[in-house]
Amino acid sequence: MGEAALSALASLTDPSLLVMLLVGVVAGLVIGLIPGLGGTGAVAVLMPLTFGMDAPQALALLIGALAVVHTSDTVAAVLLGAPGSASASVTMLDGYAMAKKGQAGRALTLAFLSSMAGGLLGAVGLTLAIPLARPLVLSFGSPELFMLTVLGVALAAVLSRGNVAKGLTAGLLGLLLGMVGTSPTTAEYRFTFGSLFLGDGLSLVAVALGVFGLAEIASRVGQRGKPEQIVKVGGGWLDGVREWLSHWTHVLRGALIGIWAGVLPGIGATAGTWLAYGQAVATAKDKKEFGKGDPRGIVGPESANNSVEAGDLIPTLLFGIPGGVPAAMLMGMLLTYGVQPGPSIVTDHLDLLYLIVWSFAIASVLGALLCFLSTRGLARISLVPFAVLGPGLVVVMLLGAFQEGGQLGDLWVMLALGVFGWLLKSTGFPRAPFLIGFVLAVPLERYYFLTDTLNDGFGWLLRPWVLVFLAVLLAPAVLRLVRAVRARRNLDHDDEDRQPPAEEEGELADSTWSLFTAFGALAVFAIGFLTAGSFSAEARLVPRLICTLGLLVGAYLVWRELRRRTRRPARQPAEEVPKLAPDVKVAARTFAWMATFLLLVTLGGYVAALLLFVPAFLLYVARARIRVVVVYTLVTAALVAVLPLLLPVHLPTGILPSF
Amino acid sequence: MSNVVESPVTETAAEPGAPRRSAAIAVMAVFLALAVAAALVGSDQFNRKPSTTDGDFTGETVEVMIPLAAGGGTDTWARFVGQEMMRAVPGQPGFAPVNDEGGEGIIGTNRFARSAPKDGTEVLVSTATTVVPWVLRRTEVKYDFNSLVPLVANGTGGAVYARSAAGVRGVRDLINRDHPLTFGGISATGLDLTTLVAFDLLGVRVKAVFGFEGRGPVNLALQRGEVDLDYQTTSAWPSAVKSIIQDGTAVPLMSFGQLDANGEVVRDPNFPKLPTVPEVYRQLRGSAPTGPAFEAYKTLLGLTYTYQKAMWVPADTPVEAVHTLRAAAAEVGQDPGFRKKADKVLGGYPLEADEALADRVRNAYTVDESVRGYILDLLRTQYNVKLG
Repeated sequence: MGEAALSALASLTDPSLLVMLLVGVVAGLVIGLIPGLGGTGAVAVLMPLTFGMDAPQALALLIGALAVVHTSDTVAAVLLGAPGSASASVTMLDGYAMAKKGQAGRALTLAFLSSMAGGLLGAVGLTLAIPLARPLVLSFGSPELFMLTVLGVALAAVLSRGNVAKGLTAGLLGLLLGMVGTSPTTAEYRFTFGSLFLGDGLSLVAVALGVFGLAEIASRVGQRGKPEQIVKVGGGWLDGVREWLSHWTHVLRGALIGIWAGVLPGIGATAGTWLAYGQAVATAKDKKEFGKGDPRGIVGPESANNSVEAGDLIPTLLFGIPGGVPAAMLMGMLLTYGVQPGPSIVTDHLDLLYLIVWSFAIASVLGALLCFLSTRGLARISLVPFAVLGPGLVVVMLLGAFQEGGQLGDLWVMLALGVFGWLLKSTGFPRAPFLIGFVLAVPLERYYFLTDTLNDGFGWLLRPWVLVFLAVLLAPAVLRLVRAVRARRNLDHDDEDRQPPAEEEGELADSTWSLFTAFGALAVFAIGFLTAGSFSAEARLVPRLICTLGLLVGAYLVWRELRRRTRRPARQPAEEVPKLAPDVKVAARTFAWMATFLLLVTLGGYVAALLLFVPAFLLYVARARIRVVVVYTLVTAALVAVLPLLLPVHLPTGILPSF
Repeated sequence: MSNVVESPVTETAAEPGAPRRSAAIAVMAVFLALAVAAALVGSDQFNRKPSTTDGDFTGETVEVMIPLAAGGGTDTWARFVGQEMMRAVPGQPGFAPVNDEGGEGIIGTNRFARSAPKDGTEVLVSTATTVVPWVLRRTEVKYDFNSLVPLVANGTGGAVYARSAAGVRGVRDLINRDHPLTFGGISATGLDLTTLVAFDLLGVRVKAVFGFEGRGPVNLALQRGEVDLDYQTTSAWPSAVKSIIQDGTAVPLMSFGQLDANGEVVRDPNFPKLPTVPEVYRQLRGSAPTGPAFEAYKTLLGLTYTYQKAMWVPADTPVEAVHTLRAAAAEVGQDPGFRKKADKVLGGYPLEADEALADRVRNAYTVDESVRGYILDLLRTQYNVKLG
């Protein structure tokens, strides 16, 4: 084995291979910057280039891109609060919080260095894991995979900012939304209300960019001048490295969790990144900074989401079971070279296997280095007023969401989810559990169903890994309870001071809006419960379970809101409404702008629509100078028009031109 | 738009004032003109009429419509075959694969049937995912393979195997059991349907568990002992099954076989030693299979295996254009260099594009009402699936 490893390393000194690797890395970084394209976009753009290449060159190209996509997708998540993937939403929690405090450069430095280490450790792990992968994968049956999905959603609900009841509600709503489409167990359509368009479920990119990206724009577009806080862009590279080094244990732990989770096909990437965040929070002595810009909240997950990519290659190569679309495309390419993924790859193509490992390691270092060097430039984005960034971001994000399904309907769904995300954010519901719930809904249902039908009774609850996951699941809840009881005892009369500041809880928390949202959630669960009545028994089981839980938590929320309202007026008489109205107005108007843009797209196509939307927004909302408006619009239009020539990007076409 | 007034609350001294009204209107007017121009430029490409009846596709672009997601088996097949095929078409037209996924392939195929140009510049890719719903007459399906013209088809095969530890040593252990074997499946209305019909034909009672993500996970579940029965297609067999047969974990039982030109089931060249489903029937029952179950089996075998993947053009496409495209596919299929390169993608089955293909495919794609009735009945009574 060692010999093959060394000869693979030696072959990478071949300049043509290195050039391919570099091309792949640069392409991967650029594509990762655009929220919504991700690994699938990277492989799709590079795949046609590989026709006619030898297998090693082609592999170097694709692996180079795959290894770094999750390095650069951090940029949008940290700077703009727009994660293009479910795992980037974890980094966003602390990264975006840090960037809002004016430390974007620090957040990016930590993230890039962790990505690099995660990739490197992932490659090492990939090498070592090859002999262990088979027993590990075989020891994970349906019950274990089911517990892992539950753990993913539960950790997100418990660990996100805000309180647990709100987190759970958001997570359950996400699970319910994820069930729109074809049932994984009976192939019947659920919650599609007769629309074939909804039959495949909603697009992840549309959900992620809507709930986070559009919502963020709506709530920050009121900011027209320069950001008030002094933004420290640089801070010295050495300082960054030094700070990062002080968290090395978190880097290591994150990477290990990532490799381990990545090996499990299908659910690894999302659950793994949350587990990494979860363990960082659980093992920290001082937890109160998490979610407000704690470096440990960036380092662990970011290291994990790159090593997950390496782990993900194991099921692809060793079992022929790709963990995601990019891996599936990679597998398709291997087939055209006559390489059959499967257990025999270790004996038949060990050299290629090591080539993949080494390419992965080198690409991680290269990618992180390039990003690291451009941190100062990137961080400057946070100096631009959000109102000016807004229209460009709307154009890019909607275009990104259009790529997955090529349907205009996705964009309307995304806008609706933007409104929903804004409501969640403003009323203090964490949005990360919502997204994680959405991603894990189908696997959760699938494995629950399989667990239930393949095992008699509840004996599976006693399987060792299940017990471990149950312990991890319940430990924080028990700890929290203990701490809450203790805190109540000690700080009984101090209760008012412990109310988190308004900004953290969401601007509209405790207002009529908050009550409205709680009632809305309750209504959604009730409707979901009733609608599920028309499904077959198998397809009804899990949605009903989720709706029942949702009704319980939702009822508790409503009760709490009502109780607060009856108590509140005595202390703070009617202060909230007039103060909050402008925010709501700005958001409502921004969403109206976006809807107008979509209408224009439907009519005249993407380029024509943006030629009107961008300058109008800049003039009347951002009040930018004329010169800025003209240059900004022309550059955006030119880039969007040229993009389809360079990348596998499709522009929506309008109905007017075809007359 | 010009009377958008900002609320005074958000306005602070640090913020820029509104631009001059006249300047703003001028800027917007210019961009309006540009937008109209952009909208019109986009429509230009629709104006030129393609000429594909002269045996030369110079300057054309052939769009290959893949109704499923990028990266899957069908996508890989279509991109590989399509690319090679267009190189062989005289005039070397551009090759534009388009993934129009959604509704398990139904949305894209519906759209093709509704609006594809009838001149050979758009080609549809079909696979079992889109064919089975058509057989079952699902209400969402608005296309009909009988009104499309096949250009090229490529088959696959498959075989059933079982977990030894479940007490299976050969096909005789499939019947007369005290406890039914557990079969792992994805969905009763997909490719699994052919296997379910085979079980029904042979009188094998199984406990079928659907909901697996793909055949790979079923294979792993079998190795873990969660399921007892599974099948794999030819391309996955070497990686998924070979090694566990060698170490005695699993035992191969039967292959689905292939349809020959006369529509009879013959041995699969990729599983020469395994008996086919009708042969197993003879072993177990002592007579040749007949009746609706066997007719349904043969129909499904043709649709989901022997002619599993195909490329189609609309019915009214000029004969010359069809001929040009089909001849290119035939040329590619004969080329030994391509055969060698494509061995893994094609799964070891020939690329068929001869002139008699249309007849064979038409026969295979003719589904008798009795066959359909039997299948719907089987799904309803044994698998609790109600359709239509």
